[in-house]
Amino acid sequence: MATEKTVSLSAEAGAIAARVGSLRDFLTFLGEHEQCVRWPDPVMPEPDIRNISVAAGNNVATGPAVIFDQIRGYPGKRVAVNVHGSFGNLALLLGLPKTTPVRDLFFEIIRRWGSDKPLLERVPPEQAPVNENRIDKNINLYDLLPLYRINANDGGFYIAKACVVSRDPLEPDNFGKQNVGIYRIQVMGPDTFTLLSIPAHDMGRQMLMAEQHGKPLKVSVMIGNHPAMPMFAATPVGYDESEFAYASQMMGAALRLTTAVNGTDILADTEMVIEGELQLNQREVEGPFGEFPGSYSGVRKVPLFRVTGVSHRNNPIFENIYIGKGWTEHDTLIGLNTSAPIYAQLKKDFPEVAAVNALYQHGLTGIISVRNRFSGFAKSVAMRALGTPHGTMYLKNLILVDENVDPFDLNQVMWALSTRTRANDIIVIPNMPMVPIDPAAEVPGKGHRLIIDATSFMAPDNLGADPHLVDRPMGPAIDALMQRLNELQKGHA
Amino acid sequence: MKVICPRCESPGVTQMHAGMEDGKVLWRVWHCKDCAYTWRDSEPAESVDPKMRPAWAQMKGVDFDSLRQVIPPARKPT
Ligand SMILES: [Zn+2]
Repeated sequence: MATEKTVSLSAEAGAIAARVGSLRDFLTFLGEHEQCVRWPDPVMPEPDIRNISVAAGNNVATGPAVIFDQIRGYPGKRVAVNVHGSFGNLALLLGLPKTTPVRDLFFEIIRRWGSDKPLLERVPPEQAPVNENRIDKNINLYDLLPLYRINANDGGFYIAKACVVSRDPLEPDNFGKQNVGIYRIQVMGPDTFTLLSIPAHDMGRQMLMAEQHGKPLKVSVMIGNHPAMPMFAATPVGYDESEFAYASQMMGAALRLTTAVNGTDILADTEMVIEGELQLNQREVEGPFGEFPGSYSGVRKVPLFRVTGVSHRNNPIFENIYIGKGWTEHDTLIGLNTSAPIYAQLKKDFPEVAAVNALYQHGLTGIISVRNRFSGFAKSVAMRALGTPHGTMYLKNLILVDENVDPFDLNQVMWALSTRTRANDIIVIPNMPMVPIDPAAEVPGKGHRLIIDATSFMAPDNLGADPHLVDRPMGPAIDALMQRLNELQKGHA
Repeated sequence: MKVICPRCESPGVTQMHAGMEDGKVLWRVWHCKDCAYTWRDSEPAESVDPKMRPAWAQMKGVDFDSLRQVIPPARKPT
């Protein structure tokens, strides 16, 4: 449930949060800091957009967002990529200098963490910019969006950075049970698409529920959003907590919401909303898709949705992401929000935990810095990390370093690995749950975990080294006392 | 020339859209009703030429009904 906890911001961060209300505002703001460029030449949808996206994302520190507005064959259409593709861009969003070290960004997110008092503003639908245009008939997504293939062997054209809103099919009026998440969407027919989720995710639960009870599941696919939305839509909040509320509080400024034609809540300033309805029990061939482990997912059968209507702003921007073999925008987008909840959950029980870096491939490798409270303590912390919600599936390789080793500085981590690791301080836990798309799995969904304790050696307590034994009273005198007690208990004293 | 799917080589393909430039068709987007592959005929050969696509990515002869389900349907579609 939401609390009354609110975030306090610096004057500068507050001013930026108040000024950035949409993707457009953010792109303008980034441009003022040389963090957004308009690509000046005509591009082909493939392979140009892919290649330029990769090039922009290669500069993890200060790579810019890129806007394409001369896409050949798509006159007047616009694509934006790499909006969250560098830590410089994230720093600016949080009101910090664009050269802020990643470690400091992590602690800024931690400082804001747990604040979830909703800051939401209602906009009447007729005043919402997203409703400037409406299409109900002859819908063709291939015409409405400048779609393109993200990786060369993807099975089709993906919408890969949309925030999808859905209501609980059994409690469609419950705002808290409304889910916002990022799911990969493959455009199929002109007005159909698949949406990939798994039963463990909120959307997967809702799809299962809808089909079991024969209830409609309506979704709104929001494309081109307030920059806080994709950052915090991927944050694991409780099933009955609102991602809208969370994102607003993490930004410290109100998010403007309106109501979509299908009844879901949507961001009033989003670029485009595709409304869809689950086609109960229908499936379509989906994939492969170049995924965050840097390999293609398989081809599977995935739930199918039919588009019921599209609303969009004038001259909408199709915001998309490059995802594939890292480093990519996907890693920057979710890295800090993957690290923060693991840290927060560990810190509750183990205040000795100093920082958590789970930036790599959605946390397939995690580095935890911790002060050993006693000998072997770091291993206990590692076990606890494996039991966190994200750790259960994702934390495959864990490296434990001392509290004075910065887990965000890989040179320091390598120093710890080189000088602190003892080979018998490595633990392999066999046959654990694993992310199905991790190619290192033994079978999809099952594999082994690795813990490397690279903290400094701490001598065990030497209590057992030189024991001074206690003389335990025994013999006939004790036997007689036991006999006496026995008689007293039976009452014939 | 007859258009076939670059992935499963089915002839069951439909044009989804055509990109125009100076009043002329610059490219067309196609979709395969059998394997659901989508492509633009202007793409590099590694994506759209069956001979240049990697063998692992081809689906000729695959039984699409036997593909793994991510969310198993509750019942047969009505
Ligand atoms: Zn095909």
